[in-house]
Amino acid sequence: MPKHISRLVLLLVVLGVLGYAGKQLLTVKSFYQFGHYRGDSVAEIASDRPKFHTPKSCEQCHAAIYDVWSKGVHNNPGIGKIVKCEVCHGAAGSRVMKPGAYHSSTGTDHPDNLKLDIPSDTVKLCTQCHEQMPGRPAEQKQIVVAAHAGEQQCKACHNVHSPRTFVGALASTSRPGNAAAGKAIAGDCAACHGKAGISEDPAIPNLAGQNEIYLADAIKGYKKGLRKNELMSGMAKDLSDAAAENLAAYFSGLQCKSAQNGEAKEAARGQALAAQCFSCHGANGINSQAMWPSLAGQSKDYLQSAIKSYRAERKNSMMSKVAKDLNDADAAALAAYFANAACR
Amino acid sequence: MENTVEKLEEEGRRKFLRLFGGVVGGGGIAIAAGTLLTEAAATEAPAKTDIIPAIPGYDWTKHHWAFGVDATKCIGCLRCVEACKVENNVAKDPNHFRTWVERYVTLEGEEHARIDSQQDPVNIAAAGAEGKYRFANRYKDAKVEKAFFVPKLCNHCTHPACVQVCPTGATYKTEDGVVVIDHTYCIGCQYCVQACPYGARFFNEEKRVTDKCTWCYHRITKGLNPACVEVCPVSARVFGDRNDKQSPISIFLRNNRVNVLRPESGNAPNVFYVGIDKEVS
Repeated sequence: MPKHISRLVLLLVVLGVLGYAGKQLLTVKSFYQFGHYRGDSVAEIASDRPKFHTPKSCEQCHAAIYDVWSKGVHNNPGIGKIVKCEVCHGAAGSRVMKPGAYHSSTGTDHPDNLKLDIPSDTVKLCTQCHEQMPGRPAEQKQIVVAAHAGEQQCKACHNVHSPRTFVGALASTSRPGNAAAGKAIAGDCAACHGKAGISEDPAIPNLAGQNEIYLADAIKGYKKGLRKNELMSGMAKDLSDAAAENLAAYFSGLQCKSAQNGEAKEAARGQALAAQCFSCHGANGINSQAMWPSLAGQSKDYLQSAIKSYRAERKNSMMSKVAKDLNDADAAALAAYFANAACR
Repeated sequence: MENTVEKLEEEGRRKFLRLFGGVVGGGGIAIAAGTLLTEAAATEAPAKTDIIPAIPGYDWTKHHWAFGVDATKCIGCLRCVEACKVENNVAKDPNHFRTWVERYVTLEGEEHARIDSQQDPVNIAAAGAEGKYRFANRYKDAKVEKAFFVPKLCNHCTHPACVQVCPTGATYKTEDGVVVIDHTYCIGCQYCVQACPYGARFFNEEKRVTDKCTWCYHRITKGLNPACVEVCPVSARVFGDRNDKQSPISIFLRNNRVNVLRPESGNAPNVFYVGIDKEVS
C-alpha cells in the first residue's frame, strides 16, 4: 500500500479513537442513565427546599390564631375556599441561591431569621380577592370598595383571621370581673355617674347596664392614656386592671334608665340617620357586641359631645370616619334619637 | 514495455482494492460486533425501573402527575403568580413568569374578547410595587357581556416539542410526567422557547439559561402541592397523582368534562381545563 494511503487510514483511526475516548471522558456518567439527559439532575432539581410551609407548620407555634382561622369562613374546605396563612403573610421559608449553582438549599427561615409580613393595609390586601370586578364568579363575595366602607381599614370591623366575625367578638367571651368587689369601690364613681350608675348631669354618661367589656376597656383606656379626660384620667390612674373589671361587672349589672331628653322632632330625624350605627352598636342602639357601647338611653348632651370628640381629638379608626361625615345638626339628631330610645 | 507497465499498475490496483475491501469489511464486522456486544450488555444491565433517581423517600415510577384548572372558580387574585415567583426565585420584573393569569373580557357589541394578563402596564400600575401583581378594575364601568380568568402554566406535555428540539439533553421528561430543565446542561440557545406552542418557557438573562414551570418538582417529590396550588384560595388549581384514584386530580378528571389547550399541536398536554371559551388557546 502506498505510504500516503496508509498514513491517511492511520490518521482516521487515531481521530476515531481520540473522538470516542473524548466522548467517554467528557460525558457525565449518569447521562443516558434514564434517557438522553443527565440522570443526576433529577435528584438535584428535587433537592430544592420548599418555601411555602403550609398551615400545619404555622399551627405548631400559633395554635390560638390557627384555631380562630380554622373555624372561620376563610377555611371552608367544603366549598374549596381555603385562604391559608401564607396567602396573606407570605412564604415561611426563604431560599437564597448560591452563585453559580442554580439549585441550592440555603437561606433564611421563619422564625429563626425571617420575619413574616403582617399586612398593614388590609384594604389593599382584602380587595385583591373581594373587590367587585367583571370576571369574578358570582359565588365570590365581592364589594364595591367605596360604597362598603370608604377608606376604612377592613380590620376595623372584620376579624382578619375569621372575617365573618366582628373584631371584638372573639375576645369578648372573658368576663373576669366580680360585681360584689366592684360595688365596694364604686362609691367614688357615684359623685358624677349617679348613685345607681344613672347620671344626674346630662354631660356625663350613664354606666348602668352598659356592656361590661366596653366599660372595663374604657377605664383601662383612661389609665393608659388612650382616652383623655381630666377627671377620668385621674380617677383611673390608681385603679388596677382587676379593679376596672370589677367595676365594669358591677355597673353592667345595674338596671339602665333611658335619659329621654331628646326633642321628638330631632329624634325623628335622627332615626333616619341611625341605621348606619346599628351594624356595630346593635339594633336600635342596644348592643350585642361587647367591645362597643350601647347607645340607647344615654343622655343627648353626652352622645352629641362624644360624636363631636371623634371629629377632633378622640381617635378610633371607625368612629373618626363616621363622625367626619356627620355635621353638627346630624350629630344632634342622632343624639336625640338614641337618648329617647328604650335602653332595654 | 507497455505490457509490463500495465501489468505492474494492474497488480498495484488489485492489491489496493483487496486491502481496502479488507479494511472496510473488517470495520463493518467490528462495528456490527460492537453493536451486538453493547446490545447484549444493555440487556444484561438491570431494567430501567430498578435504578431510580436518588430522591429520599420518593419513587418516580409510582407516580403520574397531572394538573387541573377550573376557570369558573378563578377570581384573578394572582396569589399563584406571586407565590410561584417567591417559591422558584423567578425575577420579580413583569416580564418573566412560570405561571400567569389571563383575563378574557367580551364587551357588549364586540365580537372578540379583549385579553390582558398581570403583565399589562395598566395592571402593573394598579399593583404599585415590583413583584406585586393585581388586576386593575378597568372594566368596572364598561358594559361587559362576558368575562373570566384563565390561569396558565407549562402543560408538561406527553410529547413535548421543547424536549424534542433540545440539542444538549438539558430538558427532558421525567418518568412521573414532569418536564424539567437541567440548568447545568442548558446552553441558552432558546430553541425550546420557540418550539413551545404555549409560550410557557422564558429566558433567564441573568443565568443565561431557559426556565419554566416544574410543577414545583422539589415540592411534589416531598408530598407537598405546587406553590400555586397551595396558595389558591378558591381551589381553581388542582394537582395530584393520576395513579391514585382518590387524588384531587383523579376526582377532577372523573367529575368534569375537560379540555386541553391547542390539542391540534400534537403535544398532548397534561394540564386539563374546565370552563374555558373558544378564544382560549
